[in-house]
Amino acid sequence: MPHSDNKSTALAIRFEVLYLLNLLLLPGIAFLILAWFYLKYKNHSSSLVRSHLQQTFFTSLIGGALIVLVIALLFVFGGFSSSYIWMWIILYFTLAHSTLVVFGALGLAKAMSSQSWRYPIIGLPLPKDN
Amino acid sequence: MKYTSQMVAKPYFIAAIALFVGQILFGVIMGMQYVVGDFLFPEIPFNVARMVHTNLLIVWLLFGFMGAAYYMVPDEAETELHSPLLAKVMFWIFLAAGVVTILGYLLVPYATLAEITMNDLLPTMGREFLEQPTIIKIGIVVVALAFLFNIGMTILKGRKTVINLVLMIGLVGLAVFFLFAFYNPDNIVLDKMFWWFVVHLWVEGVWELILGSLLAYVLIKTTGVDREVIEKWLYVIIAMALITGLIGTGHHFFWIGTPGYWQWWGSIFSALEPIPFFMMTIFAFNMVNKRRRQHPNKAAVLWALGCSVMAFLGAGVWGFMHTLSFVNYYTHGSQITAAHGHMAFYGAYVMIVLAIISYAMPMLNGRKAANSMKAQIVEMWSFWLMTISMVFITLFLTAAGILQVYLQRMNGDASLPFMVVQDKIEIFYWMREGAGIIFLIGLIVYIASFFVGRDQPEAEMPK
Ligand code: HEM
Ligand code: HEM
Ligand SMILES: [Fe+2]
Repeated sequence: MPHSDNKSTALAIRFEVLYLLNLLLLPGIAFLILAWFYLKYKNHSSSLVRSHLQQTFFTSLIGGALIVLVIALLFVFGGFSSSYIWMWIILYFTLAHSTLVVFGALGLAKAMSSQSWRYPIIGLPLPKDN
Repeated sequence: MKYTSQMVAKPYFIAAIALFVGQILFGVIMGMQYVVGDFLFPEIPFNVARMVHTNLLIVWLLFGFMGAAYYMVPDEAETELHSPLLAKVMFWIFLAAGVVTILGYLLVPYATLAEITMNDLLPTMGREFLEQPTIIKIGIVVVALAFLFNIGMTILKGRKTVINLVLMIGLVGLAVFFLFAFYNPDNIVLDKMFWWFVVHLWVEGVWELILGSLLAYVLIKTTGVDREVIEKWLYVIIAMALITGLIGTGHHFFWIGTPGYWQWWGSIFSALEPIPFFMMTIFAFNMVNKRRRQHPNKAAVLWALGCSVMAFLGAGVWGFMHTLSFVNYYTHGSQITAAHGHMAFYGAYVMIVLAIISYAMPMLNGRKAANSMKAQIVEMWSFWLMTISMVFITLFLTAAGILQVYLQRMNGDASLPFMVVQDKIEIFYWMREGAGIIFLIGLIVYIASFFVGRDQPEAEMPK
């Protein structure tokens, strides 16, 4: 477990909360704040801070892209007026979105216990020093 | 196990599992009738099977809650149960009442059942989940009162913990709201409204207290995290559950004839109902991350964590999906509702009962802390089989529901009649049935886990 202090833990929690806010309440806005934090803290000395920052930032990016792109493709190839397209879109969105939210909950729980965390499947590998 | 009186929990757990099997068998029968309309007709009509399926669900969950209370309350209160004898007597009364009711449904036409149980003296029959004859309902109240008395006296004479008190409030609430099952006004608007006082205020109100308390108990026991930390979480979770869930009842008052302001109250407050479920997920994983010790009962921890995630998905996500009034306008009473009902009931209440059984049963069977590794592996297989097949049941029903809503309700003048749409979405009902059979297999594996590896040593405390 990486060494950590209260300040690093608080920062890690803040990133995970922004990740969740971006999915649940303030899409886009929360991500912009997260991006700003990314620029500010990406070289932070605590590996806990860096891991949560890098994970939340890139997972938001990749996860968001996966949601938007797949839905856009479904519409482009399926149009708006087929019942099956709507079925796939709603199912896909619900699944992808709620999976990202559950991962965020697990990430937040990790941050609260001062532990690093890699998002499953689409999270980038953690840097070596973790 | 510290107190011998905790042993009374065991028959409750065994009965719960036996009735669970019955529930799933009737689910699979109905799933078949959805695609082969005259399957087992006239022996088991769909409406009867449905009643048996849902009533068995409620009854076995109640057995599970009572067993859980009989196991947990003495342990938390650090004293023997007030009256083990009363608990045993009530067990047999409740079981007999349950079995007689189910046999009544199966053997006698419902109208005849109403007649011979003299429903017209105090008519309460005929409403979903509350189909039991009035006399049986009175029996349920008697059992509940004796149970609350027994648990309450134990808590009074022993140590008072937050976990016990929250459980007690939840159980008292369960009994109090059941009383609305006796109120059956002629006005059908009021009838529906008070029906939801039982159904909604149970699963999205007081049962959440029971869920939170049992989850906290299993987590304290398996992680060794400080009681104060766990209690703080519990306070916030149950406060959020009550704040959102009570007024959230309004999401059932959109189309039954209640005043229009419920569109707003119901939508807004029920939209917040996922919060306590979301907090339970963070709570459970946070406690396990912070654990002070490893517990040898891995299966119980898996059920507890799985419960927190599946309850969030089933109740939180699938509930939110159709809870805003302008969405519910289209989805009301469709397969989306059934999808949500299945995953929410399974994720929240089935899984918490299985978690507590998983934690307690080894001790009730004379083990020190856990079953053999072999038994646990089989049990964890059953966890995944049942949980994944429930996810698929939910997804297939959701797919069916989206098509149903689209074709039947959103297509303007081209909207199709109900049965035409049902034909078009038949494939999803076949797939639901397939997933249901895998669920049944998972349940058989679960039961097998009680019988394998009995002669093997307990799982070791991991380093
Ligand atoms: C632990 C697992 C299960 C739980 C908690 C559960 C719960 C429920 C509930 C709450 C309802 C009433 C739904 C509503 O009013 O919208 C219901 C109905 C039903 N269940 Fe289950 N169920 C389970 C397993 C199954 C299985 C394995 C099948 C079989 C494939 C099944 C098939 C059905 C069917 C066909 C209905 C009737 C739906 C209708 O009226 O259209 N259930 N179940
Ligand atoms: C563990 C908790 C929950 C359980 C067990 C549960 C179960 C159910 C069941 C069985 C029904 C169908 C009732 C019937 O008409 O026969 C239902 C309906 C409904 N539930 Fe839940 N539910 C839970 C939590 C939630 C939450 C948190 C929300 C909202 C966020 C929600 C929103 C709804 C709505 C809107 C309906 C009405 C659907 C319709 O109009 O047909 N539920 N629920
Ligand atoms: Fe509700």
